[in-house]
Amino acid sequence: MEWKADWGLRGRMFLTMFLLFALYIVFVGAMAVFFPGRIFPILVVMTLFLGAQFLFSDKLALYSMGASEVSEEEYPRLHATVSRLAQQADLPKPKVAVADSRVPNAFATGRSRKSSAVCVTTGIMDTLTEEELEGVIAHELAHIKNRDVAVMTVASFLSTIAFLIVRWGWLFGGGRDRGGNQAPVIVAIVASLVVWIVSFLLIRALSRYREFSADRGGAVITGKPAALASALLKISGKMDQVPKEDLRDQAEMNAFFVIPIKSGVVGRLFSTHPSTEKRVERLQELERELETQ
Amino acid sequence: MGLLDTIRQALGLAAEADATRAADPEDLFALSTAYVTMEAELDYEPAGEAALCFSGVDSTAFAAARDEVDAVLDAGEAETGTAFEFRTDAHGYDWVVLADEDFEDLVTSAHFAADTMIEAGFGSRLLAAAFAFDHTRTGATGYWLYSFRRGSYYPFVPSGGRERDSSAEFKLESVLDGELTVEDDKGYWYPLWPEGDAYPWGRPLAAERERETN
Repeated sequence: MEWKADWGLRGRMFLTMFLLFALYIVFVGAMAVFFPGRIFPILVVMTLFLGAQFLFSDKLALYSMGASEVSEEEYPRLHATVSRLAQQADLPKPKVAVADSRVPNAFATGRSRKSSAVCVTTGIMDTLTEEELEGVIAHELAHIKNRDVAVMTVASFLSTIAFLIVRWGWLFGGGRDRGGNQAPVIVAIVASLVVWIVSFLLIRALSRYREFSADRGGAVITGKPAALASALLKISGKMDQVPKEDLRDQAEMNAFFVIPIKSGVVGRLFSTHPSTEKRVERLQELERELETQ
Repeated sequence: MGLLDTIRQALGLAAEADATRAADPEDLFALSTAYVTMEAELDYEPAGEAALCFSGVDSTAFAAARDEVDAVLDAGEAETGTAFEFRTDAHGYDWVVLADEDFEDLVTSAHFAADTMIEAGFGSRLLAAAFAFDHTRTGATGYWLYSFRRGSYYPFVPSGGRERDSSAEFKLESVLDGELTVEDDKGYWYPLWPEGDAYPWGRPLAAERERETN
């Protein structure tokens, strides 16, 4: 079965990654020129810190959702679903976790294929039909397959550093030496601020493109784009009643941007996921393709 | 493979690419001779049943492919006497169940059915072929599962509930490795749990046929 490739999506994904990469090169260059030599030991420490975060990301994500791994005996059907979809996707079977929450949600964790886990909430199992749940799980398996945790961690690494420099960079300025020249430090902080803002937007764009990719991957794995589409519609209907984003995320960004985030172009630029309508539209295209190939 | 795989992952294409990768039926036939070793050295004899598991696609073209398989197996039944039946299991997956006392005919029929599916363009929907064996002393049922996604066999011996008899699986692996292409990454040894105390594809086909004719 042949599926038409989505070259537009591939192109946009590639362009975003290219721009991000170019931005980071400029950033590292600028830091090397403007920042006093002292910054580099700090950079090493930060790298280690972020590396450790990456290593424990799977456990952290499960822990923060209050999810725990479940056995075959406890959830035989869920395990069977994951196992067969993994087989179709040619992926070793990931761990299966369930979070006791009424919010219908699902996510995948793990930096590598071997350490990955798929987590669903009890809410999503109550809300969706088996076919829809299958679509959602296939979408999560596509994330694992595409190594999205690793890609996004690498993509946001220097952005995080830029953010840390914006916040703490002044500490590395003249310090006790009152007569010292503060100019390079200020330039570095301003440059970091620009890099942080631009990379933030690029990373969000990248995240949205990868959602589209995972939708396609999920639909191709189950062979039922319509089931995933109806799952998305059901979940988004429920989600409107439940706030999605961490309050602190919003507060942090609102400090820099006065325009309200939720609406209009800015809201779209800031979201990690494409709108449900757009995703459903793409899935409908796939469904049509199935019937008309 | 390595670099291309990394690029695919970076561009978010890996899921799509691997889910649609063509089936690899090449090593399926190996079991039609390896079963002799199963009998001679491990006391497993063919249970006379096998099945193909595939995940259906919601499209007219797929329904047509299914009809084609039906026609091919129908013609085969007249020739070799391999009984067959289409089934859908509790998880919504489709099975073609095959029954034949002659093990080589069983493998041939499974191969025919898989080939027809592949030629119709739906090879990527084939999950596995399962061949059941009974242990002559303990009566336990063990399976060789062929993964069309990976082009290799792996053993599966369920031992009640949701447990696998890993020592029996290990024995099967170590004795038949070489005669069969055995999947060496155990992460890909997906179970296909039996429904009730029957086979993964439900009740044995041979018994049902007998009941029908009586």
